[in-house]
Amino acid sequence: MSLLPGLARFGRFLGQIVWSTVSNPLPVGRALEEAHRIGVNSLPILLVVSVFVGTNLSVQGASAFSTIHAERYVGMFVALAGVREMAPIMVASMVAAKAGTEMASQIAVMRIQEQIDALEVMAIDPYWFLITPRLLGILLVLPALTMISIFTLVVSAYGVAITQLGLDGHTFLEQATATTHAMDLVYCAVKAFVFGLVICVLSCYHGFTSGAGASGVGRATNAAVVMAAVSCAILNYLLSELLFG
Amino acid sequence: MHLFDRLAALGRFGLFTTRVIRRLITPPWEIEEISRQVWLLCSRCALPVLATTTPLGMVMALQGLVIFSIFEAEQYLSPLISVATFRELSPVLASVLVAAQGGSSFAAELGAMRIHEEIDATEVMAIDPIRIHVVPRLAAILLACPLLNLLGSLGGIGGGFVSAVWIKGHPGTLYWSELWSMTGGMDLIGGQIKALVFGAIIGLVATYEGFFASGGAPGVGRAVNRTVVTSATTFIVVNYFLTSALFGVPH
Amino acid sequence: MSPDRTSVSRTLVPDPVAIRIEELRKSFGDLVVLDGVSLDILQGKTTAILGPSGCGKSVLLKHIVGLLRPDSGHVWIDGIDMAIATPEEKLQVRKRFGMLFQHGALFEDLTAGENIAFPLRYHTRLTAAQRRARAQEVLELVEMPELHDRPTSALSGGQRKRVALARAIVLEPQVVLFDEPNSGLDPMTSTTIDDLILRMKERLGITFVVITHDIVQAVRISDWVGMLWQGRLVAYAPLPVFLHSEHPIVRRFLSRTL
Ligand SMILES: Nc1ncnc2c1ncn2[C@@H]1O[C@H](COP(=O)(O)OP(=O)(O)O)[C@@H](O)[C@H]1O
Ligand SMILES: [Mg+2]
Repeated sequence: MSLLPGLARFGRFLGQIVWSTVSNPLPVGRALEEAHRIGVNSLPILLVVSVFVGTNLSVQGASAFSTIHAERYVGMFVALAGVREMAPIMVASMVAAKAGTEMASQIAVMRIQEQIDALEVMAIDPYWFLITPRLLGILLVLPALTMISIFTLVVSAYGVAITQLGLDGHTFLEQATATTHAMDLVYCAVKAFVFGLVICVLSCYHGFTSGAGASGVGRATNAAVVMAAVSCAILNYLLSELLFG
Repeated sequence: MHLFDRLAALGRFGLFTTRVIRRLITPPWEIEEISRQVWLLCSRCALPVLATTTPLGMVMALQGLVIFSIFEAEQYLSPLISVATFRELSPVLASVLVAAQGGSSFAAELGAMRIHEEIDATEVMAIDPIRIHVVPRLAAILLACPLLNLLGSLGGIGGGFVSAVWIKGHPGTLYWSELWSMTGGMDLIGGQIKALVFGAIIGLVATYEGFFASGGAPGVGRAVNRTVVTSATTFIVVNYFLTSALFGVPH
Repeated sequence: MSPDRTSVSRTLVPDPVAIRIEELRKSFGDLVVLDGVSLDILQGKTTAILGPSGCGKSVLLKHIVGLLRPDSGHVWIDGIDMAIATPEEKLQVRKRFGMLFQHGALFEDLTAGENIAFPLRYHTRLTAAQRRARAQEVLELVEMPELHDRPTSALSGGQRKRVALARAIVLEPQVVLFDEPNSGLDPMTSTTIDDLILRMKERLGITFVVITHDIVQAVRISDWVGMLWQGRLVAYAPLPVFLHSEHPIVRRFLSRTL
């Protein structure tokens, strides 16, 4: 298969991003713009998803723990499963779906309309111009989005626990805060940082290497989101093993 | 204005859905095209589904061992993994991947057809584009989702085994002997019901976005983007209600 | 190099060479697109490259600016071989070049004026107001002064071409490359674009390379004409000589004129 040449090409792409980023002035303004755009675009769906993942975790935890009569541990379950695992990977998936596909399709369109060639001919480094700001932007904003999502998730899980499930709110919070250490939040931010890197690089790569025409753009966008989701899931395990194992 | 646009889009989606469903439940069916799409979908999605549910199963075992070692109740590890995988992990995650891979490829293909005026050409030839392009894809996703969900469940349980037993030294015989102790038929059926509902959401959203794509190649990109975002968000919301209805704690 | 072509260019040409292409070969998989193309593009002259569509004209142009790397052969510009040039060398060459892409390649999320000011922002120290003024000046040169604040997505095909042309010349390049400036345009707009090129030729004294399949345009604007056919340059001569060429392919192309 064409696995090895593909990997080599991807490796060269990565090297080019690093080189273009360090050998040009940092595009601070445009990076902030990207961060703002990614944040504002992804926040609404993230809030909705966080609320419902939180409520779902509570219901799930209660139903699992009720078989062993340990409902008082639902708070701990939400903290462990929700904060450490669900929130970072969920934020990553939603941002891959929203911002990642957008990056891939925008860059793919620029590729097929020869706008990237035009940049090169105008002696402007397309990696620096197109990828560096997106990369810096997503790295800035993803940890923040993850923290917001963690907060939303725990609050909604708490809400369902005391209303729909009739659990004791005090115990829930005690359990949840006792299980969540400050370090856990730092680890979540680390995860978010890595996921942001992966999403951005993969999306931009598929955009840069897009095939011709409307179907090329569609395929690039499609491949970007699948590769990003799969890579994040696998990296999530490795990071959890490394950070929490 | 904005609100009006949204309502109009919602109405158009409703109309589209009824048009599709009416054709889905009445013959003639394009059996050959449906089986081709099922095969295509399964072969495209199998690897991504396995490659996400397996590491998530591994993570579950990792964190599960943390909880259960506190209570010294490690015999509950594999039942927890099994219940969580069948009820939640596999249906949701497999569907997210089917949306990302299958749904977005539907949107991309139909969108490209629309942009290249192939759909208009089909209509001019007095052939119903919904029957030949949309219905087979929807039928295929309804058939493929339960299969992929099953595959995802295997991945989750296998991943849990690898992480707990091979990496963390949890006793393997305990893992297998306790695996089914808390999992009932309702968990399997409930998981499959979820997979079917999510599949229907993906299929309808993807074909709708693709079928009504506009604005050249950027339009196709937007259709793919919206398919993934809309269907994933929708079924995470729907999932909460399904979980409550199917597996909720009896008071 | 085919012997008759070299003899022509050596005897008739006193002008310095701006771009020297030597034995350029390029294949995509099994498809041989350029099969040993050599030509000298002369300083200050307008060179048209004719050829049927799909014969590799755009591919040739992309080799000149170093967007594609040939399988073998050279593209010499100012002593730099674009075939093997380092990124820095390519930048150095490209800063003196302007290029009009076949479909414009304008940035869709900018206005027409912002597209034109774009190279200024990255290659000059002009302030925003100065860039605006310069963009407006060039828009007037291409006779589209009213387009400055128009979103790119709202431009017609002919307007796009002209805005892209304005962007290509905004830095006052020494060499301007055109990829099918007339494709997809009606005869009236095509004529306007030809006139524009002619006028720029007088005023700016630039080297133009015009890729086209439009023989009428080639006749109207060029000093030298080349004919690309099945991966080879089958003819290359000053316009009057070219028009009387006996080469069968050239005759077939010319017979379409009137
Ligand atoms: N990047 C590429 N990959 C593969 N084939 C290409 C590529 N670019 C051009 N070609 C092929 O090379 C041939 C010449 O293309 P081109 O130079 O665009 O033609 P034209 O003379 O019409 O400008 C065509 O057959 C085209 O399909
Ligand atoms: Mg061309």
